[in-house]
Amino acid sequence: MNEENKSPEQAPETEVIEATPAIPAGMFGALLESKGISAEHLGNDAKGTEIIRLTAEAILKAGELLKGDASSKLDMLLLVTGIDWKTHRESVYHLYSTVHYHSLIIKIVADANDTSPSLYPVWPAADWHEREAYDLMGIHYEGHPDLRRILMPTYWLGHPLRKDYKEEDPRLVWNRR
Amino acid sequence: MMSVKELNPELQSNLPGVSIEAGFDTNDLVVNIGPQHPSTHGVLRLVTTLNGEVVKEMEPVIGYLHRSKEKMGESRSLFQYQPTIDRVEYLSSFYDHLVFVNCIEQIADIPVPKRVEYIRVICLELNRITSHLLWFGTFLLDLGASTPFFWCFRDREEVFTIFENLTGARMMYNYFRFGGVNNDLPAGWLEEVRAFCNHFPDRLDEYEAVATKNPILMDRTKGHGIMTKEFCLKYGVTGPALRATGEALDLRKTNPYSVYNELDFDVPTHTGCDTYARYLVRVQEMRESIKIIKQCIDKIPGGDGGALAILKKEVEAKTKEAKKNPEIVVPHWDKDWDTMGKKINLLTYKPPAGEASNFVESPRGVLGCYIITDGTPKAYRIKWRGASFSNLSALPELMKGHMYSDLMAIFGSLDVIMPEVDR
Repeated sequence: MNEENKSPEQAPETEVIEATPAIPAGMFGALLESKGISAEHLGNDAKGTEIIRLTAEAILKAGELLKGDASSKLDMLLLVTGIDWKTHRESVYHLYSTVHYHSLIIKIVADANDTSPSLYPVWPAADWHEREAYDLMGIHYEGHPDLRRILMPTYWLGHPLRKDYKEEDPRLVWNRR
Repeated sequence: MMSVKELNPELQSNLPGVSIEAGFDTNDLVVNIGPQHPSTHGVLRLVTTLNGEVVKEMEPVIGYLHRSKEKMGESRSLFQYQPTIDRVEYLSSFYDHLVFVNCIEQIADIPVPKRVEYIRVICLELNRITSHLLWFGTFLLDLGASTPFFWCFRDREEVFTIFENLTGARMMYNYFRFGGVNNDLPAGWLEEVRAFCNHFPDRLDEYEAVATKNPILMDRTKGHGIMTKEFCLKYGVTGPALRATGEALDLRKTNPYSVYNELDFDVPTHTGCDTYARYLVRVQEMRESIKIIKQCIDKIPGGDGGALAILKKEVEAKTKEAKKNPEIVVPHWDKDWDTMGKKINLLTYKPPAGEASNFVESPRGVLGCYIITDGTPKAYRIKWRGASFSNLSALPELMKGHMYSDLMAIFGSLDVIMPEVDR
């Protein structure tokens, strides 16, 4: 009897979630703009995923909105990476929705000191990914609870994925010659 | 000092005769598990703080297998880089190639013939079976059952022979190309695959008869390592671990790539959320893969490679003759039967500037590749998203409050593979 009673209760709940229509493709920037958050629309990548650029001030607010809003529901962080554009560094976040099955790419330019706000408070999955971006690209994520090297040894000098990286560690044998 | 009761309130019933309220009168013990440990499937070090036999804290130390795959991608041309990406995740290396090749295909807008897509899907699903078989064998080996390990390797060998006949390699295939595959199917290859598909489900029944209802397996897995959907989302856990929470997230179904939208298959899910549920989901996935492969064999445009190769030679010869003598009739050749969508000289190939990100459902979860090209033969930036990387990051919280002896059962159920974590 209990099971029979439960099933009709559960059914409408799932229907309600599905009934919220997904945001049309390429409209994430417009959604943020409508809530008063400035987002720069950078077009789509080759697969058709929308790319937006957000400012460091707006990112946490925008993140909460994108994660919580019923039409976007971007609840899963797939990957975080850094890109070295030689003049500046940039963080890239790939987000995915397990409700609407759509995705979004967010880019944030790190400032002159290579600092960028951490998205750990919004998506805890950013923990290891941001540590990796810090380790290999040298972007410092402000607000990250435990920003340490993850792949390279703790004593490593420099950040290997930077374009100007040279292996000049004096402890290496070939650099002593 | 924390008492065991605080760490795990449910533990009391499992330990009859031990007064948990009083706490153990010992100090915390730090144990280094790994880097060389037979059950860590690679080189993983787990710095574990134990309170008695209960895991209090755990910190995975990774990076022992870091081979700088991303730096390698930036420092050599795509053609030179391609053979090395098999090693990103060596147990299912067709998937690495698929994401990589798909990214360049999308950036350069290279068409992919239908036949190629079907060949790729057959390879991918066979690869999923070999990967899950290795997991099945080693997972049970971790739990103390050594016989299934040899059975699984016997079946893996059969699939590897099939792969060897197609690609020339047993594990590092390097078979997919931009807009195609390296070579067409050899004569009779599809029959080999069909023969495997016909007898493999019976073997799987046999393995399941030994393992699935085994009381030791059930005791050690049921109710252990509970991962809820919220927990999975928090850490970005994907793949069978997420599907074992009842969430039917499978990119083959939700965001179909290749020809998966033309194929009929189910996404196995379970609502158990525990180690046993993850076991059941993976076993069921092997059966679904067989279902997909059988459909592909029936649907593949052009059919078996042998007859098609003869036809292709005839078409090529007749087209040459037809230029001189217009009366000669060239046999029909469908564009879907090609093995390359566009002729590319890989040695000098320069993709246009652009960026693409691709995510596919690998045996371990969402495998992704993010490529930025700048018009040179090298990629400007290549980033790999290994499913194991995110799945492993959930382990410390997952293990908190569990017995030390459950570690390898729970860790094994995540199916983490270290080369994919460290890349």
